[in-house]
Amino acid sequence: MSSRRDFLGELWRWTGGALLFASALILHRVLRAAAPAPRETTLSPEAVSRAIAEGGAELGGLFVTGPPSAPTALSLTCTHLGCRVRPASSGGFACPCHGSRFAVDGKRTFGPARAPLARASLERRGASWVTRL
Amino acid sequence: MGDAALTEAPAGGARSSSGDLGRLAFGFLAVSALSGLALVPFFSPAHALESLERLHGGMPWGFFLRALHAYSSFGLLVTAVAHLVQVLARRTERQLSAGSWWRSVLLLPLTLLALLSGFVLRGDAAAAEALPVGSRIAETVPLIGPELQRLLLGVIPGDLGAISLHHAGTLTLLLWLITAEHGRRLVPDARSLVLAGLVSASLAGTVPLPLGPPPGAFSGGAARVLLGPWYLLGLQGALVDLPVPSAWLAPLLLVLLLGFVRHADRARRLVVVLLAGWVAAYAAFTVRILLLARN
Repeated sequence: MSSRRDFLGELWRWTGGALLFASALILHRVLRAAAPAPRETTLSPEAVSRAIAEGGAELGGLFVTGPPSAPTALSLTCTHLGCRVRPASSGGFACPCHGSRFAVDGKRTFGPARAPLARASLERRGASWVTRL
Repeated sequence: MGDAALTEAPAGGARSSSGDLGRLAFGFLAVSALSGLALVPFFSPAHALESLERLHGGMPWGFFLRALHAYSSFGLLVTAVAHLVQVLARRTERQLSAGSWWRSVLLLPLTLLALLSGFVLRGDAAAAEALPVGSRIAETVPLIGPELQRLLLGVIPGDLGAISLHHAGTLTLLLWLITAEHGRRLVPDARSLVLAGLVSASLAGTVPLPLGPPPGAFSGGAARVLLGPWYLLGLQGALVDLPVPSAWLAPLLLVLLLGFVRHADRARRLVVVLLAGWVAAYAAFTVRILLLARN
């Protein structure tokens, strides 16, 4: 038969456990609500024009190419685990983390990445170019 | 680590050498924590690489202090693993209670997380790539993935504030608490502390620990594999061939296998064989990524 002390000890343990569980639940809700907003990149028209004139250049994590009237941006974030891909000596792009390779147009050619590099057109907003990549 | 139960004098009064390794691991943890504390005034999470470069170049003994912190942390990992191997080889795991054994097993992933967070805090090119990798891996954990990712890495992309707090606070505190419970003493003994300090200081004074190039330095150059921290090369290699969730499933499997060793009677040999297989696979994936980096 359990004594009053044992009963109170158990009660404290269960109350502590319940409080811990409730705290974890609240933390879970708070963290779930903190989803990051979609990223928008703004590029200056001079930088975009220069990139197009060079036949494509890296600007703020994007690879920007022409034509001048409708430039496009290729995300340089590897679709495998998010590392920054770099120009490969053999052409296209290579991921320095796990060896994925992509063609100049972003198509995956080799390695653990399954999807091509994300691609989007640049939109004119005032004097700047904007993309959601 | 510092396991009093394992180090109780056996017949003849000799101290167990697995206990010696455990005590030494506690010594390394103390040196790592103290040297980390000394680094705090110089480190800025918002300017991680710049603050470390200033420490290296502009402060007398700055390079030594950082290397002391790093080498004592490596010493902690190496001696903790050696201690664990010796415990398994001598079948002394049952000298701990089941709860204490499971908590002690958690010291291994906690140590790796502490070391990895320290690697990320360097803020150089390799560290910058480790951040999105860790983020994507955490996101693949079922049910709690995105929440776990935000808890560990913070809600501001690229910000190192949350990681530095976990590195210096949460992880260090957890490591110290569990080690103290495991070793049944709050601080390491003087001999282990001095030995760990001497080994770390000798390495820090003789083997330089340079910082890598800044994150943007590779963007214009030809592609080359950036190697992660030496103790996680197996994981980096595994991610070349295995699906992303293997990055948390494999460590979870290791922890479960180590935990179950204490409960396995007849199946102990099988569990140990599975553990050896895990280690062999990890070594093979380490070779895999090293070969990929060479090509």
